[in-house]
Amino acid sequence: MTQNKNATPEGVVRYVEGAKVLDYLPQVFNVKPSSSYYFWLMAPALIVLAAISIYPFFWLIWMSLHNVGSSAGDTFVGLKNFEKLLTDDKFWIGWGLLFKYTAFCMFFEIAIGVLLAVILNGHRFENILVTVFLMPMMMAPAIAGLVWYYLFNSTFGWYHWLMQSLGILGETSIIGSTDTAMAALIIVDIWQWTPLITLITLAGLKRVPRDQLEANMVDGASAFRNFVAITLPNIYPFLLIGIMLRFMDNFRFIDVILALTGGGPAESTKVLPVYLFDVSFVFFKLGRGAAIALTLLIVTIILCKLLVRVFEGPASKRTDMGS
Amino acid sequence: MASVTITNVWKYYGKTVAVKDLNIHCEDGEFVSVLGPSGCGKSSTLRMLAGLEHISAGDIHFGDMRVNELEPKDRDIAMVFENYALYPHKTVYENMANPLRLRGSSEDLIEKRIAFAAEMLEIEHLLQRKPMELSGGQKQRTAIGRAIVREPKLFLFDEPIAHLDAKLRARMRGELKLMQRRLGTTMIYVTHDQLEAMSMADRIAVMHNGVLQQLGTPQEIYNHPVNEWVAGFVGEPPMNFFDCELVEEGGRFVLVHPAFRQMVSEAQSALLRGALRGTSVRMGIRPDQISIGGKSTVESVAGTIKVTEPLGGDTLVNVDLKNAQLLVKTHPDFSGAMGETCHLTFDTGRWHFFASDNGIAYF
Repeated sequence: MTQNKNATPEGVVRYVEGAKVLDYLPQVFNVKPSSSYYFWLMAPALIVLAAISIYPFFWLIWMSLHNVGSSAGDTFVGLKNFEKLLTDDKFWIGWGLLFKYTAFCMFFEIAIGVLLAVILNGHRFENILVTVFLMPMMMAPAIAGLVWYYLFNSTFGWYHWLMQSLGILGETSIIGSTDTAMAALIIVDIWQWTPLITLITLAGLKRVPRDQLEANMVDGASAFRNFVAITLPNIYPFLLIGIMLRFMDNFRFIDVILALTGGGPAESTKVLPVYLFDVSFVFFKLGRGAAIALTLLIVTIILCKLLVRVFEGPASKRTDMGS
Repeated sequence: MASVTITNVWKYYGKTVAVKDLNIHCEDGEFVSVLGPSGCGKSSTLRMLAGLEHISAGDIHFGDMRVNELEPKDRDIAMVFENYALYPHKTVYENMANPLRLRGSSEDLIEKRIAFAAEMLEIEHLLQRKPMELSGGQKQRTAIGRAIVREPKLFLFDEPIAHLDAKLRARMRGELKLMQRRLGTTMIYVTHDQLEAMSMADRIAVMHNGVLQQLGTPQEIYNHPVNEWVAGFVGEPPMNFFDCELVEEGGRFVLVHPAFRQMVSEAQSALLRGALRGTSVRMGIRPDQISIGGKSTVESVAGTIKVTEPLGGDTLVNVDLKNAQLLVKTHPDFSGAMGETCHLTFDTGRWHFFASDNGIAYF
């Protein structure tokens, strides 16, 4: 550390016109630390991050370019792993199912989540109700999957009994039929993750400036137009966070699916991450699994970018109006 | 255009009373200012007029129409908010167009009205800017522009120029008054600044603790305050008050204070005779109704100069009397040093007497 040029041989004690003066802070604390000082403070975190995240990432890329675990040892195969994916039907079906699953989950979660938030906002029992609504979120996804597995059970499942009594379902369990198994997964996801959207939207609603709402009301807006013109643009950034989180989770989380259907029946719920799990850890084709994982990662990143652009779109369009 | 009638209106927030039994009638085209310190219920009153607050009891009529249950959008009013409440995503043009668009006006009409308002407010060059790029004064003009393009029945202004700097505020006072006269729209203007109320309004409603104290022209409020509170609140610098005793001498009253004795005129004595309860009164006199000089006269009161504040246009002098202090406003070239003795003459024709128990004015 550099020596402060005002520092005296006595350290922090200075003499002004013969009088002894004690500085407010010892001068050694006033020296601005160098940037390497900050680097060393962050180093432990960086090392841990590198070990658990950056190193496996490069390993993944390496694996995707090799035939891993064969009797001949790991051999370099170039882009062969990716080439094979092009003709792999299960890979493409997995993508289709993943998009279907994600689209349904996100649509209902956002619609119901925002609606709930609007109803809850400023409600007399807001605090209690929010806590109640948050309960599904507090459950570990694997446990939620198991709970719903029993609810959906065709012999003793309460949910199945209810649906059957209402004439909506027949004898077979909702997870036992290729027509309805995907719906079952979507229901569980909505049940567990709608509260997250509600919570985030609620935080956004608190930030909507009241005077703008009132000005718009006086200007002649109905409650609905007020919501569209003032509330929505103000909660967009919050909604975007919620949507991104849910979108990425839907692309990654397979615990509920594994617990409920395991990708069945007849692979009707084998979304891409489940297929990836099968390839890598059931059939141990780690090279091919790595190729799938890398594709999934790249698509996720591209879609995230697109989402951000779509959501920033309405805000920037509004600014262009009238010009 | 419409008259506004507020009849026995009350406003409760839970158990707290914000407005107590308010009655105000405002003529068509009139500029009424609601004046009071913060928390006096003036903003609640305005928000009830706008339909942003529920009316706890009583009625509000615009013309002959009762509006208690009407939504803000159906009241045909325009409001300017204290912090302008502009829409940050929209340009000045779109901000001003908003009320017209919400009513489905044609683009031609929107353009025409905005051109008119922008010219009047001198913001034509700002129409494509965003609120973020505007100064406080420009934001405020935009907010006013948004209110006037509608050509509403009633303008509601909620301290619209409170956040501007002093110079701009002074200019806006004149401009707002001129604008209201040109448009001829009924206007209710809430403010805590007596200068704004006095300089702009046709009539002022002074409120305190949710109760209407006095409703009258600026001259009435200033020259004939109904009670001690109004007398003390209106006027800058504030009125001087003295606790005095009244003694009757030869058919006239004499005002007795430890520091001075002053004769009360025949006319004022007559006013007091019927109404007076007890012998103690509060005497109030404005700083500019006292003249200060170096020479003693029969009526003058001797005091000691405590401090002088030259303001350029006038000078304020703090004077110590025997167990009392008072403030005198005098000409700018008054020269009196600290600690010097001075002689004060009261303009006894313009002082005010208030009952010492409830503060109600005798005259």
